[in-house]
Amino acid sequence: MTRYILQRLGIALAVAVALSFVTFMLLNFATDPAYAIAGEDAEQEVIEQIRETYGLDRPVMVRYADWASGMLTGDFGESYYWNKPVAALVADRAPVTLLLSVMGLAVTILIALPLGILAALNPNTWIDRMALGVAVSAQAVPNFWLGLIMIILFAVTFPIFPVSGDDSLAHFVLPAFVLGASSVPAVMRLTRTGMIEVMESDFIRTARAKGFRGGDLVRRHALRNAMLPVISVLAVQLGHKFSGSVITETIFAINGLGRLALESILGSDIPTVQILIFVFAMVFVLMNLLADILNAALDPRLRLG
Amino acid sequence: MKLTHTWLAGGLAASALAGAPVIAAADRADDTLRVAFAEEILNLDYNYTTKREYILLADLIDEGLFGYDPETNEYVPSVATGFEYVDDLTVDVNLRDGVAFHDGQALTPSDVAYTYNWIIDEESESQAKGTIERWLDSADVLDEDTVRFNLKTEYPLVIRDMARRVQIRPEGSYHDENGEPVQDAMATEHNGLGPYRVASFSPGEEVVLERYEGYHEESPKNPIEIGNVVIRNIPDMGTQQAELMSGGIDWMFKVSRDVAESMGAAPNVNHVTSTDLRIGFLVLDAFGHTDPDGPLTDKTVRQAMNHAVNRPEIAQFLMGGGSQAVHTACHPAQFGCTQQVPVYNYDPERAKELLAEAGYPDGFDLELWSYRDKPIAEAVSADFEAVGIDVSLRHVKLASLNEARANRDIQAYFGTWGSGGTPDTAAIARVHFNDTSDRNMSNNPEVVENVLAAEVTGDQEARLRLYAEALTTIAEEAYWVPLVSYAQNFLVSSEVDFPTYQDGLPRIYRAGWK
Repeated sequence: MTRYILQRLGIALAVAVALSFVTFMLLNFATDPAYAIAGEDAEQEVIEQIRETYGLDRPVMVRYADWASGMLTGDFGESYYWNKPVAALVADRAPVTLLLSVMGLAVTILIALPLGILAALNPNTWIDRMALGVAVSAQAVPNFWLGLIMIILFAVTFPIFPVSGDDSLAHFVLPAFVLGASSVPAVMRLTRTGMIEVMESDFIRTARAKGFRGGDLVRRHALRNAMLPVISVLAVQLGHKFSGSVITETIFAINGLGRLALESILGSDIPTVQILIFVFAMVFVLMNLLADILNAALDPRLRLG
Repeated sequence: MKLTHTWLAGGLAASALAGAPVIAAADRADDTLRVAFAEEILNLDYNYTTKREYILLADLIDEGLFGYDPETNEYVPSVATGFEYVDDLTVDVNLRDGVAFHDGQALTPSDVAYTYNWIIDEESESQAKGTIERWLDSADVLDEDTVRFNLKTEYPLVIRDMARRVQIRPEGSYHDENGEPVQDAMATEHNGLGPYRVASFSPGEEVVLERYEGYHEESPKNPIEIGNVVIRNIPDMGTQQAELMSGGIDWMFKVSRDVAESMGAAPNVNHVTSTDLRIGFLVLDAFGHTDPDGPLTDKTVRQAMNHAVNRPEIAQFLMGGGSQAVHTACHPAQFGCTQQVPVYNYDPERAKELLAEAGYPDGFDLELWSYRDKPIAEAVSADFEAVGIDVSLRHVKLASLNEARANRDIQAYFGTWGSGGTPDTAAIARVHFNDTSDRNMSNNPEVVENVLAAEVTGDQEARLRLYAEALTTIAEEAYWVPLVSYAQNFLVSSEVDFPTYQDGLPRIYRAGWK
């Protein structure tokens, strides 16, 4: 198992390094940070000044080598755009995104599990169809549209929640709902399938024979077994949410890593984009790894090594 | 996303008109004006920034030596009471008594000399350096009220730069106790002379300002009515609209015309428009960088292109507000921007005749580049198509356009220039017509000479004459297709009085409660 984990971590690291190289080159060839920093009407002298200040007048390979050697010594570089160390920038923003991701995942669980269970207990009925309809709609609606609708409904028309910002937990309710909604279908359908399979299994028949009925049967016998694949999917979804909150954070003006990623890309802030890609790649891989480990731990048949 | 914002604006306005609860902004009660910027504020020191949002912030928290009266378009005394040219290369500036920084220390000539000498210092890395070192050799303390500026060359915009580009800092601000330079010393811990002081600052999130009670009374910015200003960074314009409707903000700018008109229908929001010194134009490769024998090297073709464009309709239907047709390579409100130049009225038939005369009766292929305001670029393209010019529109990111232009790969592009709100032709002419600029695609040495000569003399009559010569040549030769001046749209809480000015620079410090 240890060997397997180390192997996966090694692959993750290699992917992140390759990604960083590709991103660095793409950003350098596609954009000019000096123009992004200076703004639309900047005069040539100002742009040259910025280029010189940030060392952007050096060859791209020299800059990449500089950046990479800095990384190896723990120096993640300085943001062009924010004018502060990238590591500090990411450390400031990460807790906000983590909170939003966890709350988004909680929304997914709160909606998808009951819907999935309800659909499984009433297969091929109108309840099943309705649950599926809700789930598919949640997936089909784009984040930015759902976000704006939520704002109009619950922040403007019925001013229950704040429109934007991240000052209190109340600020996270609407964005967490928007972020969580997109994962509902996957989790709901997995729950439904798992539950249907489990409900038809021998041990449930035995439990019924013993007199277990209704909620007791579902909670104590069926759900536990049906949850095995769902838990691993939830771990992956957490990774998705952590690295996929760009639009949600931008719409709700939440100062997390997603918004930082968008601003950095628009501002051609190469050092920050580099680190964010590294962080996102690692989180995603770690969550996948966690899912594998959970699966293996929960189901002895899947254990490795 | 624009369509979404328009749609959202309609939804929000309809929601308000349908009787949904409209929250009255609590801001008036606590005397706080809340404004939204989509662009993040990351640095409080305008000596180290350039973008428009930072100009608005600097207007609130900083002071140059002179002020600017947007009603008369003149530079007026502020921190300095006046200036005197000792000779062509020496300017003495007298400072006002009783001016103090936000930390309470009195302003001295040493502070002014230090600030200017630092800006042009090799180590300063200031974004004002390029502009100031063009003319400033050094600044010296002359006596207890006077600073002497020693110029490298005659330069007519000295007072403009003193008013707008350099913000005064206390002596030693940019050095630590060991004398080592600290370029970002004022980035988050600000100390200036402006009407508001920074109460708190979260980069990229919020700047909280409170009125500075020690602000000098004689400032042209007075009276300052509102006690507190909060600048919130909200990247999404749709979210800004929702915040405005729910009372979370009182003011937003850079609003598109359609959104502003929809939102302005709501009872608690006013749509305010203003003119702007920004103009839009096409720059044509008259020199022939892309093709030495190409159609754009022919003056008759360029004149035909000028006749082909329906400027009044673009101004009326696409820009709105105070937009107007422009026929010069500058804004008509700028000093030196003579309007006594050949005017090419909209006349597609004349355009076709001229094309035929030039040997292009069936038109020609044109690759037109643009990076913003795509509807305008499309309208111009349609006008060209109507006279037979086959346009391929390449709408790209600014950086891509800049790179292609630097490589001389652009046949024609749609550009805009705001002149930093400077009401002087120098602010647009030099950038576009000096001999080292890749924006100069005509490379006429006579125009270059006139434009540069107008920048090294303080004789205003001579400057008028030089610009008139340059602008007349540009128009006669049709090096550009000048299009329209811009208009700006603001959305403002109905409780806020927000005056606008011809130069288009929003002056938040002039806002008040109704």
